[in-house]
Amino acid sequence: MLLSDKLTGGVVAVLGGLAFAYGSQLPPVPGQQIGPSAFPMVIGTGLVVCAGLIMFGIGHRFEEVAEADVASHSAPEELEPLPAWRNWLALLPPALLGFYALASETLGFLPTAATMVLVASLAFGARPKLAVPLALVAPFVINLIFLKLLRVPLPGGLLPFPW
Amino acid sequence: MDTVIKAFGLVFQVDVMVAIVASAFYGLTVGALPGLSATMATALLVPVTFYLSPIAAVATIITASAMAIFSGDIPGCLLRIPGTPASAAYTDEAYAMTRKGQAETALGICLWFSALGGIAGTLSLMLIAPLLADIALSFSTYENFWLAMLGLMCSTLVARSSPIKAIAAMLLGLLITCIGIDNPGGVPRFTFGSTDLLGGIEPIPALVGVFALAEVMRALTEREPPKIESRRLGSILKGQWKLTKEYPKQQARGNIVGIIIGVLPGAGADMAAWVSYAMSKRFSKTPEKFGTGHPEGLIEAGASNNASLASGWVPALLFGIPGDTITAIAIGVLYMKGLNPGPSLFTTQAESMYALYIIFILGNIIMIPFGIVMIRLASRIVGAPRSAVMPVIMVFCAVGAFATAGNNLFAVWCVAAFGLIGFVMEKNGYPVAAMVLGIVMGTMVEQSFVTSLIKSDGSILPFFERPISSVLAAMTFAALLWPLLAWSLGWLKGRRTVAAYGGRQAPNTRA
Amino acid sequence: MTFLDRRSVLQGAAAGVAGLIAAPAIGQAKFPSRPVTLICPWGAGGGTDAVVRIVASLMEKSLGQPFSVVNRTGGSGVVGHSAIATAAPDGYTLGIITSEIAMMHHQGLTQLTYASYTPLALMNDDPPGIQVKSDSPYKDVKQLADAIKAAPVGKFKASGTGQGGIWHLALVGWMQAMGLAPNHVAWVPSNGAAPAMQDLAAGGLDLVTCSVPEARAMIDAGRAKSLAIMAAARNPQFKDVPTLKEAMGLEVPLGSWRGIGGPKNLPPEVARILSAELKAIYDSQEYRDFMNARGLTMKYADADAFGSFMGESDKAMGAFMKAGGLAKG
Repeated sequence: MLLSDKLTGGVVAVLGGLAFAYGSQLPPVPGQQIGPSAFPMVIGTGLVVCAGLIMFGIGHRFEEVAEADVASHSAPEELEPLPAWRNWLALLPPALLGFYALASETLGFLPTAATMVLVASLAFGARPKLAVPLALVAPFVINLIFLKLLRVPLPGGLLPFPW
Repeated sequence: MDTVIKAFGLVFQVDVMVAIVASAFYGLTVGALPGLSATMATALLVPVTFYLSPIAAVATIITASAMAIFSGDIPGCLLRIPGTPASAAYTDEAYAMTRKGQAETALGICLWFSALGGIAGTLSLMLIAPLLADIALSFSTYENFWLAMLGLMCSTLVARSSPIKAIAAMLLGLLITCIGIDNPGGVPRFTFGSTDLLGGIEPIPALVGVFALAEVMRALTEREPPKIESRRLGSILKGQWKLTKEYPKQQARGNIVGIIIGVLPGAGADMAAWVSYAMSKRFSKTPEKFGTGHPEGLIEAGASNNASLASGWVPALLFGIPGDTITAIAIGVLYMKGLNPGPSLFTTQAESMYALYIIFILGNIIMIPFGIVMIRLASRIVGAPRSAVMPVIMVFCAVGAFATAGNNLFAVWCVAAFGLIGFVMEKNGYPVAAMVLGIVMGTMVEQSFVTSLIKSDGSILPFFERPISSVLAAMTFAALLWPLLAWSLGWLKGRRTVAAYGGRQAPNTRA
Repeated sequence: MTFLDRRSVLQGAAAGVAGLIAAPAIGQAKFPSRPVTLICPWGAGGGTDAVVRIVASLMEKSLGQPFSVVNRTGGSGVVGHSAIATAAPDGYTLGIITSEIAMMHHQGLTQLTYASYTPLALMNDDPPGIQVKSDSPYKDVKQLADAIKAAPVGKFKASGTGQGGIWHLALVGWMQAMGLAPNHVAWVPSNGAAPAMQDLAAGGLDLVTCSVPEARAMIDAGRAKSLAIMAAARNPQFKDVPTLKEAMGLEVPLGSWRGIGGPKNLPPEVARILSAELKAIYDSQEYRDFMNARGLTMKYADADAFGSFMGESDKAMGAFMKAGGLAKG
């Protein structure tokens, strides 16, 4: 997901512009010289300025230097490029967290977490021989830590924990 | 002398000892779990302290928080995932040392200098408490504003990246703090009618997202790193004495900066670590080695965050003002146990105060053996397959954020969103640490600026007139102008600063 | 072992799962049959947190199930209050409701009102105080009031909480009672009482209108003094502080109250068990000792009285907010 500076700078500029526009719409607060609109507007302006500098490539030299530095300290095999589809795999963890947010209330913590661990573990290339026991044991232990040690009740759902 | 003996009698009770040992293991475990902060460890202890004697209650809080701050270094060092926010500043450095095969030295530095820093902080608590608290007490919003600005200045120093992108990332962090109604005007901003957004974005889910979840995401897209030789870690403490003698100045500076930051209201261990790491780099003879696995910054920042922990108790004990979030909780426990904060605590309950000092020292001493045990246990996860560790960490990201936010699923969405943001930013050279700094400091900047202007009827003069304020203002402008000056001088001298900044690789990369 | 074939194992497991699902239903006969969550809309370490935690620990002792406190903070209390109101009305999610519920809907921040809850019991009500720096020239509240009256609008600065917060209303109420404009003393928003008290001691403010227990640390440290409290009677913990009625003959009917409640439509039987328990806790020595140690003012009302108390509070707060220009619409 390496994007060009022009693109990321553009996104930053749009964000800055939106922040400025939204901020300018906010009502003033009686008795306050600087209302709630000032801070978003200052930040928005700052973001637009930074975005401009980024798009023109100012300061990029520092990055090249830092990258070269890191490269000189890493093992050569790590620098070989991986197939592009691997990049999309990065979306899996946030998606699984979304699954947790949607499903944990109804399914309960144990089934939800077991599914998450199983899927993630397989995505990392684990054999089912490792992934399945892990998916069964890990959520159980985590639940135990939170419920008994930290006294944080996790969603019960279909399988309420204190049996 | 009589009170000191009485104090020892208070501490060396069976229940207090059990409380110390149990909370030490508890703190070490929670600190080592990514996403669970020392603050959370303390908060979750409060219900337990209901059932303890006053000294045992205070002992659990002191021990657990100190252990958690140290323990947060372990996953940072081994997996590049800081266990607590206080470790985030030097995680890259410690991880770089691990990559170089120096994991035991890195962990040893964290442990040894944490303990020394903690003891130094305790001494400051004992010796200069009244004096420091007096200074901190004269801090009004004007001083807080400059303090926050100084904190933001650190954002360009902590990252090895383009300063422009660092500032952009920091501004993004500030923008995120605008969300919600916790602003001086009490006006909902960027909430779009959502109750959850009204509450704003808490720093913890954001931190878990950009530091922990993004790391899991990154691991999925990269091939398994070359196995760190799965040998048993060597002696943890070996060579630490040599380092202590080699870097006395860094250590002393780390302790002092940590102590000062701890005393200042609101700024805690995280801030201490950031400032000390940046300071170490700024004053180092070999700044180009920073970020490549160099012990110098690690020593200074590792000492600093633990030193700040003890000194954070100075304003808490004297005036009931929290030095950081941990002492904010501790104040509640003190009241609950009848140890009401105030100078009278030092006179009427002197033996309790001495008992507290003894617990601090004791906690930092037992940190060394307990810490070694924890490191030995934790180092096994380096040998464990990534496909087993990463999924579990991912579940912890969800549950830890969920628990700290008061069982709110919105926090889980936040973690997911910040994971994505952090992943994309990191890939494109925007330092996420700078954004986190913006998120942590944002409210303080706006609050102190707006309220200061109300108090001064719109005049900005008090920002420069008040004595401490003027000193802080001068420091802020110096921090702001220094890189600009260095940069323009370098420009004149044929861009030689860039070479000095980036190290020996720089000449080759020049186009 | 041989006859333990796959089918019987599966059947056994199915029966076990069915039993687990059915278990809560069977246990419903006696409330509570599983852990109860108490939501606190404010942060750990504060006054509300302290009250809810002592209540939780005493409930746990007498009802025999864990009562865990969950701090769901942010949005000036809106987030936590909304979590209590939207929880399943089964008695297993309760919360501490604070005076902000009578305020925030006037500001247009939420649709929630006191009517969104099943009231169980009022546990505490802290009146506002008037604090000044210890070396301030004003010996009593009368002198301070005269100085405020003589000064131009906006000369004096006060703080204690955020814009439109409970102590801001206390100031507005006091100004109104003296016949002054609500903004005669400028309000400096702060992140709660503790930072405001510190700023007072640092010389940044003229007065702070938070409750006396919140100001206690600074008062004990000799950095600040309390001139009056806006209450019907003196606080036994701070006997020397007169009421505003004694000192100036003024009354400001407003306080920071806290009570336990649940989402609307709790089963009557559950509500009855809980409110009886809360009454027993309120009368217990442990609760009294705890509240006295922290200097918090005790005030009790049973479920029905708490409901009407909230209604009155809602009207009073609404009037103050309108007067102060803090209400929306």
